[in-house]
Formats: sequence, structure tokens, C-alpha cells
Amino acid sequence: MSMLEVRDLHVSYGGIRALKGVSLRVEEGEIVTIIGANGAGKSTLLNAISGFLKPGNGEVTFKGGKIGMKASKIVKAGICHVPEGRLIFANLSVEDNLRLGAYLRNDRKKIAADLERVYELFPRLRERMKQLSGTLSGGEQQMLAMGRALMTDGDLVLLDEPSLGLAPLLVKTVFDIIVEFRGLGKTILLVEQNAYKALRIADRAYVLEQGHIVKTGVAREIAEDPAIKAAYLGAKSTPVT
Amino acid sequence: MLQFVQQLVNGLSIGSIYALMAVGYSLVYSIMNFSNFAHGSVIMLGAYFGFFAMRLLGLPFAVAVLVAAAGTALVAVVLERLAYKPLRDRKAPFLYFIITAMGASIFIDNFVIATIGPTPKMYPDVFGQGPIILGDIAIGRVDLAMFAISAVCLAALIVFIDHTRLGKAIQATAYNMKASALMGINPSFVIILVFAIGGALAGIAGVLYGMKYQVFPQIGAITLKSFIAAVFGGLGSLPGALLGALLLGLIETFVSGYLSTQYRDLIAFIILIAMLVVRPSGIMGKSSEDKA
Repeated sequence: MSMLEVRDLHVSYGGIRALKGVSLRVEEGEIVTIIGANGAGKSTLLNAISGFLKPGNGEVTFKGGKIGMKASKIVKAGICHVPEGRLIFANLSVEDNLRLGAYLRNDRKKIAADLERVYELFPRLRERMKQLSGTLSGGEQQMLAMGRALMTDGDLVLLDEPSLGLAPLLVKTVFDIIVEFRGLGKTILLVEQNAYKALRIADRAYVLEQGHIVKTGVAREIAEDPAIKAAYLGAKSTPVT
Repeated sequence: MLQFVQQLVNGLSIGSIYALMAVGYSLVYSIMNFSNFAHGSVIMLGAYFGFFAMRLLGLPFAVAVLVAAAGTALVAVVLERLAYKPLRDRKAPFLYFIITAMGASIFIDNFVIATIGPTPKMYPDVFGQGPIILGDIAIGRVDLAMFAISAVCLAALIVFIDHTRLGKAIQATAYNMKASALMGINPSFVIILVFAIGGALAGIAGVLYGMKYQVFPQIGAITLKSFIAAVFGGLGSLPGALLGALLLGLIETFVSGYLSTQYRDLIAFIILIAMLVVRPSGIMGKSSEDKA
């Protein structure tokens, strides 16, 4: 049984058919990445999985069960979405943001332990725990969004463009953290424009083009595919590392 | 000096009740981005609920306040479910919400006129006659009760919003509804919660207002001033609503005391308009890009 299974998903919004029959699966403990150009439907896919967009057709199953439509129920089921643009609560402190991640949980001891773990993972957040999160830098806000995701204690983490707009050094940190997430027992579905970096940490990859999955396979092999190299890993988009 | 202190006391008293009303406008605005113009009618219903609880059921004042608060909380939530939820489900533009709110307000006001009648009613005397004399300052008993009860309610509200999980959930939802849903916070639940809280405070405010003056169907229109206070302080901001309401109360009483009662509203509104010209988001309001 796959942790996440998406079958023949069709999503339209604003009169545009953004997803035209997408199927994919994510196994427990995997890092799976979806690469594709801007507008290919990557964010739409994540938004449909986490209940923000209603699919016209198809279904999503999580741990073998159909998941409902309500975003709040989906969080309860154990899917946690770190959206593009982070969407932290800028009007609240860093610690409040993290505690809101645990909004649905009642296991006080485990929450305290998880909070401690987030602070160990992101020492910058501990230094700034009382600060309004709106005053954090972009990189720190990304750390906060990821830390908040850990606090939900979900098993599947959906990451939407976590490296977007970050300085190269921070991009590396973010990808290191994603690998650490897996070490903490999380399964990861990663959407990235930085295909080069994403393919390096992922186990498997799907290539999304104009609402269709056009290619899938082991991440390392996808990275070697000449067509993929030309389209997504060209000299321009490959950062020097 | 004496007159100054006397006006200060009066201003704080009326300001505190404006605050109790204003936070209802502000809470709903912070989550739903529209001004719930039916709030005044809910306040008016609160005045009647308290009145009937005391006059007809013979309940003591404290119980009557609780009955009124529970009644208006229920009315506010029912109003949300019947009038606003269908609009939310259809993602209607905010103008539709405002028009619906005005419609609901007209309906409630006329329903009261048709069933209870337009004659003003008097609350029974609870606090006794004659002002309380402190040195050379005279404080009306009802004014003192208004201030004390409002202050306790508002303090409780602030503690709730700033120090409880649900309060933080309200703040999070006010900041960004999608992000709060990602935390598992159910937006519908938060909306019901703010209507219930705003409604309960409206009921208490209605009782106090009815005790100070009288109970009549047009109370709702008068309480529009508390909306002005909320705008003045910054719609959507709780501290803003408190500050705006206290300032409005003070401005009103000082203008009445030092100039003339006739200038009271004129000057209050001039200050409001000047405020909006200089700072459209109010004293502590969130800027528009925060809500984008």
C-alpha cells in the first residue's frame, strides 16, 4: 500500500485545465520530487492533494483510505503542506507559529519534545522565538514554515518550492533539512523549480508538463536523461556547486 | 481641573461601552473582511433580552446579563449561518456581505417594532439612585457599572485572544485563512467562534446601554458610533478597536463638556474623517497588503 496515491486527477480553475489526468504514488519513507516548468501544474497538484482545490475527476488516497475534501481534515489525517511563499503568520511570534502547527494535537509532552527538536534543527528559530515572525528574513521564514510543518506531526510533507528566492547557501541548508526530515520518519513530496538539487536528494521523480506526467523514474536516471537535461538542467538553471 | 476629571470619568465610561460594541465589528472584520452592519441590531436585541429576563422572568441582573449574552451569541451565529455562509460558499464579493448585513439589520429592527413595538422601555433600577461621590467628583452608578463590566469583559477577551490556543487560531485565521487551514484550523469553526464572541459581548453591551438610557428598536442605529470607533482605531485590530472606542468616548464627552452637546457628533466625525484622510487604515489597522 502506498502512502499516497493519486489516480487520474483532473483539476480546473479559473477556466484553465491545470491538471489533465495526473497519476502518481509516494511510498512510505521516500522523497519524491515533481519537476516541471512554471505553470506546469505542480502547485495545483499539491493544492488538490491538501484540499484547497476541488478535483473535477480522479481521486487521492492516503494510507489506503480516501481523504476528504476539507483541508483541516486532511491535516488531521497526517498530510502537511508547506506552501509556496511559506504563509507564515507574520502577526504572531515564532513560537506561536510553531505551536499553531500543533493546533490539532493534544499530546502535550510530545508537542514539547517536538518543539525542542525543531529548535535543535533550526537554532536560528530558538534565538528568535519571541520575535514577530514577520521580521524574519526570507530564509528564516522558510525554516519557520518547515519547523511548523514538523509540529503538525504529519507523516507526509508536501513541500512547494522551498528554495524559491533564497540565497545559494540557504538553498543548500533547505535541501539538507529535507533529507533530515526523512531521517525523522517523514515521507516527502517535493515540488521544485531547482530540478538539479531536487533530483539529487530524491529517490524518484515525476516530470510534469502542461498538466500531464510525461516521464517518471528513479531520480538519478531522470537526471541523466538527455531530454530532461536539455529542458530542466540546462546551463542556466544549474547552479554551480 | 475638576471638570476635566469629571469629563474623563464620563468619557471612559461611554468609551468602554463603545469598545464592547466595537470589538464585535472588529473581530468579524478581521476574519471576513467586511463590516457586519447587523451587529447594531444584535446589540439592540441584547438590550431586549436583558430587559425581558428581568421584567418578565424576574431574573437578577447578573443572570439577565448572562441570558442576554447567550441569546445574542446564538442570534449572531444563526445570522452567520443563514445570511453569510451561503455567500461565503459562493465566494461572493464583499459588497454582497455588507448589503446582506444591512438587510438583516432592517429585518431585525422591524421585526422588533412589529412584535414588541416602538415604545421605549425602562430597565428596573438595579444599582440604586444618586451618583457615587468621590471627593468632588460624581460618578453615575450605571456609568460605573458600565465601565467595570466592560473592562472585565474586554480584559477577558484580550487574555483569550492572546493567551489561548483558540485565540491564537483566531489571530492566525485573521492573518491568512489558507495558512491557518494548513494547520488544521477549520475556518468555519473560527467564523462561528468570532460571531459567538462578538454576539455575546453585543448582548452585554446592549443590556448596559439599555440601562443607561432606555430600550428601543433604534438602539442599533445609535451603536453605529461604535463602528466608527472601530474604523478610527483600525478595523480588524482588537487593540485598535479598544483605543478608538475610548478616544471617541473621550472626544465626545470633552466636546460636550467644554463646547456644546450640539457639536459633539460634528467634531467626532471631523476627527474621524481627518483620521481616514491621513491614515486610511486607522490608528492600529492592518495595511491592505497584509490582508491580500
